[in-house]
Amino acid sequence: MTDAVRLIVTLAAKDWHLFWADRRAALLGFAVPIVLASGFGMIFHKGPTVGAAPKLPLVIVVQDPGPFTQAVVEQLLKSPRVEAEVVTLEEAQRRVGDRRPGVAVVFPLGFEKLAAWTPGVAKARPRVEVLHHPLASSEGQWAEGVVSEAVMKRLAREKMAPIAAFTKAEFTDEALTVPFVVETTAVSGSAQEHFNAYTHSFCGMTLQYLLFWGMESGLVLLRERRQSLWLRMRSAPVPLWAVLVAKATSTAAIAVLQVLTTFAFGYAVFGVTIDGSVVGFLLLAFGAGLLAAATGLLVAAVGGTEARARSVCILAILGVSMLGGLWLPSFVLPGWARDLALALPTTWAMRGLDGVTWQGRGLVEVLPNVGVVLGFTAAFLMVAVARFVTSEARRRRGWA
Amino acid sequence: MTHSTALLLDSIRVRYGQRLAVDGVSLAVDRGEIVGLLGPNGSGKSTTLAAAAGIIDPFEGTVSIDGVRRDQSANRYAHRVGFVPQEPALYDDLSAEANLQFFGRLYGLHGLTLRDRVNDALYRARLDDRKTARVSTFSGGMKQRLNLAVALLHEPTVILLDEPTAALDPVSRDNLFAVLYDLREQGHAILLTTHHLDEAEHGCDRIAVLEAGKLVACGKPWDLIRAQPAGRAVLYGHSREVLPKFFQKGLKKRVGPAVELEFTGRRVRIAAATQEALGKALAIVLSDGVRLETFRTPPGRLEHLVRGEPTPVAVPEPEPYSAEAPRS
Repeated sequence: MTDAVRLIVTLAAKDWHLFWADRRAALLGFAVPIVLASGFGMIFHKGPTVGAAPKLPLVIVVQDPGPFTQAVVEQLLKSPRVEAEVVTLEEAQRRVGDRRPGVAVVFPLGFEKLAAWTPGVAKARPRVEVLHHPLASSEGQWAEGVVSEAVMKRLAREKMAPIAAFTKAEFTDEALTVPFVVETTAVSGSAQEHFNAYTHSFCGMTLQYLLFWGMESGLVLLRERRQSLWLRMRSAPVPLWAVLVAKATSTAAIAVLQVLTTFAFGYAVFGVTIDGSVVGFLLLAFGAGLLAAATGLLVAAVGGTEARARSVCILAILGVSMLGGLWLPSFVLPGWARDLALALPTTWAMRGLDGVTWQGRGLVEVLPNVGVVLGFTAAFLMVAVARFVTSEARRRRGWA
Repeated sequence: MTHSTALLLDSIRVRYGQRLAVDGVSLAVDRGEIVGLLGPNGSGKSTTLAAAAGIIDPFEGTVSIDGVRRDQSANRYAHRVGFVPQEPALYDDLSAEANLQFFGRLYGLHGLTLRDRVNDALYRARLDDRKTARVSTFSGGMKQRLNLAVALLHEPTVILLDEPTAALDPVSRDNLFAVLYDLREQGHAILLTTHHLDEAEHGCDRIAVLEAGKLVACGKPWDLIRAQPAGRAVLYGHSREVLPKFFQKGLKKRVGPAVELEFTGRRVRIAAATQEALGKALAIVLSDGVRLETFRTPPGRLEHLVRGEPTPVAVPEPEPYSAEAPRS
């Protein structure tokens, strides 16, 4: 072993021992991404046994006592698509405000006029009010659809029975069912893929936590540079490059270990599998580990004070995690955010990991992702090293 | 034992930003010698020591050990220096043994040599029974002993100590000087900084006095003392605990601008023009709740050296800190 390698191993081993010195903290470092990924997975997972359509919780306010309105309300209460109950307006407003449930439908006085509706004759249209919580606008739209269906069914029965020469009694709900069947299938690119929400969560939360680990590692170096330990290191025969290489090595090694541990747990407990290239997965894990190490060095190089660096880092990591699709699939983001996300390493790492896990992609298909992640890593490292070299030279010359 | 020059600072000038922190200082430290760098805060003591340790580069002048210049061979130079920072430079979460092993490896020690040196260092620092305990569980004195042991592990020619007694109680300070006298006997060249005159007078073979970055005097304590008056009243003491900064500031205001009140870790120095003024200042300090463990009031002989008031006066030769006297 050459002296340089021996020096790097010594410095990296020190970081390794310091990481394990606080065993509880170290174990938490492995447990937190697992807990986060499991939690996200549970929230978004829809198992095969959940065949029944979800029901919309809903409250109904009836201000018009007319028979047509009552019939529509009855229809809603019996509907398999909603979980409805009739309440007063005050109660509805209070419960929607508390989001228990998030939406209410009000049939105001005058709604009964709809009973006299004639197809093709334009008249003033009666109103239906939909009240929803500010965070439940999609539930509001859902309720609008459900109410429209109920009203139209009722109108069909009232207005179309004479035309079709049926009695109203013969015009059952079954008879009014839409005359076609809708089949819904999730499509995502590969023939053999089968989406597992846990797999997506384990990819996302692992990547996010790696960035946090990189930040912590960088903050340790930042702290060391402000202590007398750094003076001792500077007086020792230890070149700066050795300190940086060792720091990057130890941080990346622990990061890769975290990836492997997290996915091993996911495989054992939630059936998270690598359906694509295992080599591609390992390359991405290695790349993500290096990215975490580069992030750490960047934090230590440009961080200023520890408190300042921590605040900025948390904001940056949460931002790139959200935009990179680490929490939720990126399609829920607006178009400009999806475009912006292409300039983030997390987006490419996430797409790569999704690719080699549940999308079943091969090595060649994810090599561009590996390349982009390593490219970002190289860029971060260059900035960090340049900054370190400059600041240490300034310190040595008494300029800082 | 040879008395050849080990450390040589040759006309070094060091800048901190726009400020000239060290201005043309030349100093030689021989093997088997303890030299004290003395001066008030901001006089350039620590900067001179940092330049000697290779932590900061002089923009003019050279630093060398046994003829090896820092600017020409940083690696060989670093192997000849053992630097002891003022604050213990140790990893609190590692054991004493792990700290020693780590720093030893940085200096290229490994295998049996490393093991023997670590065991020896633990024994000398009287930490062999606590070698597997984490440093975070150590007392201040234990940390300081380990801090010194780390610097000695690679058997450097020159040992540099920055305010080594600042955080020590009187007994620990005397123990430290006993260790330094041993190292001197073994032929190490020792340079330490202090701004406590009695420590320099009693503990060092030679004293180099710095003021505003310049070397204003250098010689054996007794030679310097003989040439100085003994007019200023000075008290050196140890408080039981390190006083908070705001408390120190308040005390300084209360004793007034005519009295010098300095705190370095637990060490306290009060200097006044007359014994009466010193007594009043001491009364204020004690009435404010400062608990002094020990204090003494030697004649303030070297005080005048920095002030440039040379008036020869005969005073008795000082007692050294330990049983073994400094070399005369």
